Amino acid sequence: MRFLVVMFKEIRDNLRDKQTVFYALLFGPILMPLILGGSIIGSLKQLSIDFDEVTTLTVVNGDSAPNLMDFLHSNNIDVVDAPDDPEKAVRRGDIAVALKVMPSFNEALRAGQPAPLTVFVNDGDKESSKQARRVITLLQAYERTIDALRLQHRGIDPNVFNTLDISREDVSLDGAGGQLIASLLPFLLIISMVMGGFYLAIDTTAGERERQSLEPLLSLPLNRAELVLGKYGATLCFVALSCVLTSVSVFFLFKFFPTDILGGGLNFDGPTIFKAFLVASPLIAFISAVLITVSAFTRSSKEAQTYLGVLMVIPMAPFFILQFVTIRSELQSMFIPMMSQYQLLEKIVLGDVTPALHIALSVLGTLLFAGLLLLLAIRLYSRDRILM
Amino acid sequence: MIKAMDLRKSFSKPGAGRKSEPVMAVSNVSFTASDGEVTGLLGPNGAGKSTTLRMLATLVKPDTGTASIDGFDIGSDVLAVRKQLGFMPHNAGIYPRLTTKENISYYARLCGLSRHDTARRVDELVEQLGMQSYADRRAAGFSQGQRTKVALARALAHRPQTLMLDEPTNGLDVMGTRGLREIIRDLAKSGHCVLFSSHIMQEVSALCDHIAIISDGRIAIADSLDGIKARTGEEDLEDAFVRAIGETP
Repeated sequence: MRFLVVMFKEIRDNLRDKQTVFYALLFGPILMPLILGGSIIGSLKQLSIDFDEVTTLTVVNGDSAPNLMDFLHSNNIDVVDAPDDPEKAVRRGDIAVALKVMPSFNEALRAGQPAPLTVFVNDGDKESSKQARRVITLLQAYERTIDALRLQHRGIDPNVFNTLDISREDVSLDGAGGQLIASLLPFLLIISMVMGGFYLAIDTTAGERERQSLEPLLSLPLNRAELVLGKYGATLCFVALSCVLTSVSVFFLFKFFPTDILGGGLNFDGPTIFKAFLVASPLIAFISAVLITVSAFTRSSKEAQTYLGVLMVIPMAPFFILQFVTIRSELQSMFIPMMSQYQLLEKIVLGDVTPALHIALSVLGTLLFAGLLLLLAIRLYSRDRILM
Repeated sequence: MIKAMDLRKSFSKPGAGRKSEPVMAVSNVSFTASDGEVTGLLGPNGAGKSTTLRMLATLVKPDTGTASIDGFDIGSDVLAVRKQLGFMPHNAGIYPRLTTKENISYYARLCGLSRHDTARRVDELVEQLGMQSYADRRAAGFSQGQRTKVALARALAHRPQTLMLDEPTNGLDVMGTRGLREIIRDLAKSGHCVLFSSHIMQEVSALCDHIAIISDGRIAIADSLDGIKARTGEEDLEDAFVRAIGETP
């Protein structure tokens, strides 16, 4: 049971290291979910227009169209007078959009001609385009009202002009951006697991070589497999802790997600996150093994950081690949660590069926790879070259 | 008690291809170090001192030849050899985020001492090596002398019969060196076998009962200080050393 001595020493040693603790307890579990989740909430909010929100609109020459102004006012828009040069003000970003009622507006309206209006918008500015879309949507609604009145005035049923009745129905369970949000959970979990064990794995293997404490350690009456297992165990604890903390913080984060943005199908309640955690948990063993084995190859912390930094791309790869390609979950891909968890976790969050066979294969494949990597690490430590 | 018989070790140069000629690090090393004595392994840098000690500490396997520590063969009885042996490698690092006591007790626990035994042994070593003033301080800012003492205490944690120190006085100031010499002498006096490598003549002549001069991977001469002087016909160890490795002084 000497591997426990190694394990507890490494845990105690690394709990005293600010960098390790920061990445294990703060970066993965708290900062990453906040940054990623926050930016996604932000961008979704920017896309969707809230017509109930009261806002102001700068109007030039609004006095000449009092009915339109009343209509805007009744649709939660407060009209304010325009500055001297509304075009410039919009370009500079002083005001989001400006509406200009042309001098010939009233005359044209009375004559039954198209009445000219100009909306100044800066399409380089997301807030400006969003405001403009709201204004134009309202103006079109106003136009339809007048159209209907004119037709009725001439004794024509306005419905004559409604040739098609198109209704658009989104059949996906998740609504817009649902898959992106669903893939956020495996992404966050995997990244925080990697970050959680990253510095501890480097410190206990490459770091030990670098500060020349490995040689006296290896000369002790102690099996080298026990040594590797102890270091693996310590890494495992940190990775597991990161995984648990991230699950908890994701649970709380999604409590703040507006449900209408999330769409009906997405589910981030307690049991769902718990199930996701269980399905992801074999990765704790796998990621710890990858970290220990790769840094056992390296001679210094710097070298280890370089290798592992490149390796960090791999856990991110499924996230980006699955954004572009829909890979049907097949039996073969369930055997690949990380790929399988990505797909399974996404399905769990989306409320899709996750066949027991798929979960079993995912667990088996991941643990198998973890075991092989661990054997490799023990072999690396048994070579003379570990001291060179 | 250390007995080395015709140890040989060659390495392929790191970075060179597989076909490159291996470098002979140690080619013919035989000597004996007895209990109750300090034996010095004296040789210039690159002579093969560290490789020899590593083979004796079972960290590196010799290509040919054998050695035994207190009767246990370094090839077949690895764990028994390590139990007998306290090894302090060249520039051995200690854990900067652990205190002196934690550094020592980690090794004691790894060697199988019980929790209770470990605490007692650690107190003993702190006392023996005079480390009371920094026993509970973290090692991050320790001086070289303090670090060496912690590393030595660590090597002694499991009460080994045989002790091997690779250039322990490296980086120590005068008082540090004197203090360490005293400790080494005491250890030998209490019956331990101490093997001590160095490239510094005065140190070896001041401390060692028995000297093995190593040069170019082979033992040039191994005898007591007086024996070496007599065999080389030189009065000064430095001259004797130069003659022993085949040069004319």
